[in-house]
Amino acid sequence: GSLLLLLLMSNLLLCKNVASQPMCPSGSSCRVSLRDLFERAIILSHYIHSLSSELSQEFDAQYSQGPEFFTQAMSMCHTASLSTPAGKEQAHQIHQKDFVILVIHLLRSWTEPLSHLIIEANHLPKAPDTLIAKAMEIQEQNQRLLEGVKKISKLVDPEIIDNGDYSVWLGLPSLQSNDLESRLFAYHNEFRCLRRDTHKVDNYLKFLKCQIAYDGSC
Amino acid sequence: MGISASDERLVDVAYIVEPNPPKNVTLEIQQPEDGKPYLWIKWVPPTLADTASGWLLLQYEVRLKHEKAVEWEIYFAGQQTNFKVLSFYPGYKYLVHVRCKPDHGLWSKWSEEHSIEIPSDLNMNDETTWIFVAILSAVICLVMVWAVAFKGYRMMTCILPPVPGPKIKGFDTRLLETGKTEEFLTAFGCQGFPPTSDCEDLLVEFLEVNDSEDQQLMPSFSKKYPGQGVKFRHPDRDNDSGHGSCDSPSLLSEKCGGPWANPRTFHIPKVIEKLENLEANITCTWDPLNISTEGKIFNFHTNGSRSSTWPLPQPSQHKPRSPYHSTAEVCKLPMGPKAALATVLDKSVKDALKFSKSIEIGGEEKAVKKMEVESFPAKTEQDTAWLLPQEKTPFIPEKTLDYVEIHKVNKDGALSLTPKQKNSIDQTEKPQASEISKEYVKVVRVTDNNILVLVPDPRAQNKEAPRSLQQNQAEKDTSCFTATPSNCRLHLGGSDYLDPASLTHSFHGQFE
Repeated sequence: GSLLLLLLMSNLLLCKNVASQPMCPSGSSCRVSLRDLFERAIILSHYIHSLSSELSQEFDAQYSQGPEFFTQAMSMCHTASLSTPAGKEQAHQIHQKDFVILVIHLLRSWTEPLSHLIIEANHLPKAPDTLIAKAMEIQEQNQRLLEGVKKISKLVDPEIIDNGDYSVWLGLPSLQSNDLESRLFAYHNEFRCLRRDTHKVDNYLKFLKCQIAYDGSC
Repeated sequence: MGISASDERLVDVAYIVEPNPPKNVTLEIQQPEDGKPYLWIKWVPPTLADTASGWLLLQYEVRLKHEKAVEWEIYFAGQQTNFKVLSFYPGYKYLVHVRCKPDHGLWSKWSEEHSIEIPSDLNMNDETTWIFVAILSAVICLVMVWAVAFKGYRMMTCILPPVPGPKIKGFDTRLLETGKTEEFLTAFGCQGFPPTSDCEDLLVEFLEVNDSEDQQLMPSFSKKYPGQGVKFRHPDRDNDSGHGSCDSPSLLSEKCGGPWANPRTFHIPKVIEKLENLEANITCTWDPLNISTEGKIFNFHTNGSRSSTWPLPQPSQHKPRSPYHSTAEVCKLPMGPKAALATVLDKSVKDALKFSKSIEIGGEEKAVKKMEVESFPAKTEQDTAWLLPQEKTPFIPEKTLDYVEIHKVNKDGALSLTPKQKNSIDQTEKPQASEISKEYVKVVRVTDNNILVLVPDPRAQNKEAPRSLQQNQAEKDTSCFTATPSNCRLHLGGSDYLDPASLTHSFHGQFE
């Protein structure tokens, strides 16, 4: 009886230790590769966000019909249902692997909208070539970043569960509406949401890099 | 009622963040032992910026200048909190500012000004580098000096080639130096010196020209020869005498048919140049070579001491001289000496062949060879005797001397030449009497140097002779086949053997 108890206790302790320890403890070789993966991911996320900012600004410059023309175009982004930390304190409270899953969720949510945006943007009147080129570049880099963050998640937690969740996008009819103004509003909104979500991804990855790969202090 | 609220403005917090400027900026002069000294600037992020957690990423910028400078030097420092300045002037006081911005935000204001005084005695130079540079440049200088000293001569000759002098091919200066004028003259094919009265008659006859001006020229022409002189060009010159198109030895040899090939084949370096000169003189016309050339030859090598008598191997030929202008004669001058030399020079055929190959300018080796070959058999004939090396007989046996005259020019540029017959012009019979197989030369082509590449034209032999003879009188079309008459003229002018003025006159008269 006491022996069994001892075994149980030791198992519990062991399990606890295992559970509390990150799968990539400091000093191990996987830590180095984690840093490299994060560095690459951050380069991509930074680049994607820069492109999104330019895309949004170019669209506004091309199609705005007055100051604050697009203010009334504001509407909810399709990823608004996803709970993201509002500030640094909330970010500290999220588990690292959850945080990584969150990033994957955001990235996956934009795969379909981007492809539609590229197709429909060709029908915009006087659509500049750079606009569509940037959108295509964002789409391509987004896919690469998604693959990279998936790899990071495996390193962070090998048993991480990726349900494949993503936010569903329902904005296609707005992009194809007959009313030009509605269409422009829809595009503006999509580009704004893209800019914001890519900024979130960039911000979270930079934060996670310091938290996961540098033990909380870069 | 108005509206108390302003219009909506869309603001995204992430893009309006302006951080505070960096703090605690420190400046130091670092002097590592194995490197250049540098200015080391360090700072810390602003207080509220949490860069440690990674939530905020800051990038920095540094600017500095020395007190008296006008513009700031701005350097981007990235995400690091220190910066090394490697280029600065010792003895100045430098001012430094630092600022920062979030990765997607706005730049902060510049930090407070910090200054540092750089000591004047700072050694900024890297001695090792200078020593290396000095040694390298010294080595380069030595190499250049050596190159100039040892190869300077060659370089100079490359850059400034020596001016070539005129050369007469086949002309043996040694004969001249030794004073053996007899041999010398015989080499030119002169029968004797001073020329006989026949020569004079022929000369006079030869001087007859159709044009009045030619006639005027002729006397002066002949007069000039003795007087002038014969500044005989020393043959010790380079082979590339800057002759014009008329001057090419190849041209001459081929124009005159087989005989010409031979002189060139003689490998006499010095003589060759002389021969070339003479050949050049001949370029234009094909008038009775023997007469004109020989006469002129005498003038050439006599240094002006001889009279202008013309040794005429075949006086009878010159009756119908009218068509033959002085230019033709003049042109033929060079041939004489060459011919003479050819006979004098007793070289083997092989040497001749070799030499012809070597000198061949037009590249018509075949033609030359051919001509040589043909000339050999021809030596027995009246034509090309004088060009054959084996020909012991002087150039001016009456029969062997053969002057070719251009009597017709075909449309394809073929020169129909007839050897000058000893018979008078009004003879219509074939020159067979003299057993001369007429040799006609056909112009194959004109090379770059304005050299006429001639090939003996066997088919025209013995058939056109009578016609040509008759036509000779009528035609004055003994044109020079060099590029232009001016070429001949230029050439002649440079030779000193002939009076350029008279030559040009005759040329002009001819081509009218």
